[in-house]
Amino acid sequence: MADTLTPEHAAERLCELSADVRAAVLLDAAGSLAGASDEGGWEGPDGARALGELARQLFEEVDRATRDWDVEPPEQVEVQVPGGAVFGSRTPRWTLAAVAKRGALSSLILYDLKALLGELEGGPPIRRSRSAEERAAGPATEEFAAEELPMPELGGDAPADGGASA
Amino acid sequence: MKEKRKGPISRAAGLAEGVAATVRRMQREREPRVLVYDPSGYARLVQPEARGHARIMEIAEQMVSRGEGREN
Repeated sequence: MADTLTPEHAAERLCELSADVRAAVLLDAAGSLAGASDEGGWEGPDGARALGELARQLFEEVDRATRDWDVEPPEQVEVQVPGGAVFGSRTPRWTLAAVAKRGALSSLILYDLKALLGELEGGPPIRRSRSAEERAAGPATEEFAAEELPMPELGGDAPADGGASA
Repeated sequence: MKEKRKGPISRAAGLAEGVAATVRRMQREREPRVLVYDPSGYARLVQPEARGHARIMEIAEQMVSRGEGREN
């Protein structure tokens, strides 16, 4: 069974999912840092906290810029700047922001952000496929192969006798 | 509907047009910009002259420079 995603590991998981993401931070509803990617690698002890503060300010400014728009408050934001890109996604409880390389595919990163926040909110975990080399060797049987297939379980509510009646 | 090209020169020209269009699209995608998405995924551009646009770009640049420092 897959590990349950915790707020502390959400940012790190995002970096694992997307090679284009350089750094990520997760903020709670109060705007406090709840997790950061690779905390040991930051320049200085407050690096992650500073990035989190910038992410909080980013959404504040986005809300200010779109306040008069006749639409719902934005859920996601994408900012392209000469040296890279910043992506952010939020739910009422969490805000996840990522700094990505220049040319990163926006749709994929925004999808990953949304999926991770969904997982934090109790949604289904993101499944990662493993390469044949990573996988532990197993018997070449249909049962073994079926375990690896991301097939949804259909007919979960069907009666035990199969429910086949005309 | 796309016109079918005949002859090698015409095909080469078509290929070059395709490459040029791809390069233009990639450049356009990398232009500085601010996009916001509503919960249904609909994107809206924050116009450069809009209130807060300059500050959003400034914050994003600071975030990118922090992220750059961490790149291997």
